[in-house]
Formats: sequence, structure tokens, C-alpha cells
Amino acid sequence: MSLSLCLMSLLLIPFAAAGLALLQQGLGRSRSAAQTMLGSLCALATAAIVFVLVGSAWMGFAGGAAHVLHLGGRNLNWLGAEPLFAASIRGSLTAGLGRALVLAFGMFAVGLCSLIPINAGSDRWRLAAVGAATALLAAILFPLMAHWVWGGGWLAQLGPLFGPLSGLPGFTDMGGAGVIQVTGGLCALSVAWIVGPRQGKYTEGSAAAIPGHNIVQVLFGCMLALIGWIGLEAAAAMLFYSASLGQIALTVINAVLASSAGCLAAVLTTRLRYRKPDASLSANGWIAGLVAGSAGGGRLTPVEGILIALVAGMLVTFLVELLELRLLIDDPGGAISVHLGAGLWGLLAYGLFAPATAPRAELLLSQLIGIATLVGLMFPVIHISHRLLNRVIPFRVDADGDWQGMDIRELGAGAYPEFVLHADEFTPR
Amino acid sequence: MSWFGYLLMLSGWLLAAAALFLLDSVGERLLFVAAGLMVEALGLGLITYRYRSLQRGPQ
Repeated sequence: MSLSLCLMSLLLIPFAAAGLALLQQGLGRSRSAAQTMLGSLCALATAAIVFVLVGSAWMGFAGGAAHVLHLGGRNLNWLGAEPLFAASIRGSLTAGLGRALVLAFGMFAVGLCSLIPINAGSDRWRLAAVGAATALLAAILFPLMAHWVWGGGWLAQLGPLFGPLSGLPGFTDMGGAGVIQVTGGLCALSVAWIVGPRQGKYTEGSAAAIPGHNIVQVLFGCMLALIGWIGLEAAAAMLFYSASLGQIALTVINAVLASSAGCLAAVLTTRLRYRKPDASLSANGWIAGLVAGSAGGGRLTPVEGILIALVAGMLVTFLVELLELRLLIDDPGGAISVHLGAGLWGLLAYGLFAPATAPRAELLLSQLIGIATLVGLMFPVIHISHRLLNRVIPFRVDADGDWQGMDIRELGAGAYPEFVLHADEFTPR
Repeated sequence: MSWFGYLLMLSGWLLAAAALFLLDSVGERLLFVAAGLMVEALGLGLITYRYRSLQRGPQ
């Protein structure tokens, strides 16, 4: 692993966070823009501090200390057991370097993951609840999944544990499609259900369109996200899969191709369905391509990467509609469709298209087990813990706050004080 | 109803995990894991139905 390349890749990751933050505040209403942006900053800050102090101990490192469960004659590595407060990286520079890099990566990754539910709870999720839910994510939920996949946990060890004869490979997530995106998407679904739809979204059995207030910021956010994603995928490939320089180069190529294919697929799909391309859905297609492509990173050929992203870009336009119109889930930024839907597709697609280092059925099996764990185990844990948290710190703002906008309600001032963007907030009702 | 949904989702995951412990052939394991995923989908569907009913309730 090239140290300078890894460091450079790590330093690019915050661009992904900046891109996602811009994207989600642009897709929300103007009356909540400042609160959404501040919520993103607070989530990043909370995630970094809580993860380094607590979560990193549970995430652990491949080959590091871990809690082991003896079950059916097998030793299941299920939780990291490193010292709290990141004490294990205090040693000499050379001994602690690898661990420090993993810690830095984890800090950025959990921050990115924490931004995803803010997208779904935009315009009604209280700042205090954002902080509490982020702390829960950074302390327990993210480290649990990250340990299983990247910390030498049981999902990474499926082969030695369950298939030494047939060569069952471990669950693979090269760039965080499962650990970061699907986990974040599951949190987004949970938050969207708990906070419910925005006032005026569903009236008389139909869904009202509440368009984003700044599509230029949304599209600029997409460009920033691409830079961050390249760093994210490259760093993860180097730190957890010992990727060669050739694979890193392919990771960069595939990331650009994935975002391009995802965006173009969404542009064409919306053009065919609505006669004109939809800018916000096309932005979602761009991110969906990146999300789906991050499961395989540099292990896929460019053609396979394009194919996977094309499906992701198309899929996301249908998923957004399904969630909004049929399932009555108000997700202003399309976070659930983009991160959960495209993430799951990417993980499955890796099983279908990845180079055959093992029999195809075995590859598919290990990916399906990872998907089953994310959906069947992680989602109930996430949703139940969110529901309990909601009883202590209510997630949703009250009805007046919903109408006023989160900026006035929570921050006391709007994001655009010099412009009268809407005149109906303070009229007597 | 949502608690039953959570239980179904966990049962689906247990079914998928049990396939690894109890079965040896890839085909049987795939079948069990697919069945587990379907049970999970059923559980998620129940929770979705419950929230959808809540949204439609007052209207």
C-alpha cells in the first residue's frame, strides 16, 4: 500500500460529505436550508468525536482484538475489542500507522453515513434528535457493520468459517456500498417513518410535489461528491482489500463511469417518462451510480461498472415514485431510493459480475448473506433503537415549526433573510 | 403489527444464517438464504403496511 496515495485518498473523502450536504439542502425547502446545513455539520462533528472515542473500539481492525462467539463449533468474530478513546494508536508511528489510517477512514465514513438520514428527515427532523441519532450511529450501529465487513468480522470470514472445502468467499464491499450507503439508507427509512411526511405533502389522498429550492447547488453537490467518492473507494480498497495500483486506477475510472452512466440513465428515463429530463432525479441517478458502483470498485471491468450504474440510475427514478406515491414515504432528497435501493443492487450485482475467484453461486451466496444481514438484522436494530430514542428526544418538530420552517423555529433566522421567498408563514391560520 | 414485522425480519436473517451452519451444498444454502430473504421482505412489508395505514388513517 502506498502511504502517500492512501493519505491523499483519505483527504478527498470530505468532498463527498460536502457534496451530499449541498445536495440535501438544495432538495429541501428554502425555509429549512440553514437548519439542514447546520444539521449536516453537527452530524459530521458528532460522528467524528463519538466514533473516535467509542465506535472505533467496536469497529476494531482486521487481526486486532475482538469478542468471539463460540457457536456450532465455530468461532464467530462479532465485535471489536480495542481500547476505548482510540488508545491503541498511541504507540510508535510505524506500529500505529495502519491503525491510524483505518481510524481516519472510519471517522470520515461514519460522517458520510450520518448525512444520509438527514436527507430523508429534511424540513422536520429536529437538530437535537439529529445529534442523538448520529451519536447512536457512530457509537454502535456503524461500528457493528464495519467490524463484520472490514474489521475481520464474521461476514469477512465466511470462507474460513463455513466453506473451507468449497471456497466460499467473504462478503465483499470494496467501497462502502453496504457498510456506509445501505446502513445510512436504512437509517433514512427509519427516520422517514418516525418523523412522517411534511405538512401539506399528502392531502385528499394525493401527493403534492414539493420541489427542491436550489437545483444548482444540488448539481454542484453531485460534482463534489464524485471527487469524494473517488477518495472513499480508493482508500477503502487500499486499507481493507490490499488493492494494487492498477486496481486503484481502475477504481477511479469506474467511479467516473458509474456516476456518468447513472446520471445519463436517469436523464433518459425521465425524458422518456415525463417528456423532459428531471434535474433532481438525474442528480439522484448520478449518486445512485456512485453508490452501486462502490460495491465492486476496481474489481469490475469498466463495461460491468457502466451496466451496473445504468440499472441503478433507472431503478432510482422508479423507486422514488414508488416510495412517494404508493408507500406514502416523504423522502425529500430521495435518500432511501439512492442509498438503500442502489446500494443493495450494487452488492447483489457484485455477486453477479465480479471476477470468478470462486464458483459464481458461492460469490452470489456470500453477497446474499451480507444483504440478508443488513436488511434482516441491522434494520430492526436501527428502527427499534430510533423508536426508543424518539421517546426520549422527539424526532419531529411541532406543527407550528413545520409550518414556519426549521430555520426560524430552531435557529431564529432564515437562510436567505434578504429575500421574501414565501409570504404565507406568519399569516394567521 | 410492526413488532411482528421485526420478528419476521429477524427470523428471515436467522434462516439465512442457519443455512451456513446446517447445510453443506451451495444449492441448498442458496435456497435457504433466498427463503430467508423472502421472510425478511414479508416482515418489511408488514412494517410498511402499518406505517402506510397510519398515514392514511386521519384522512
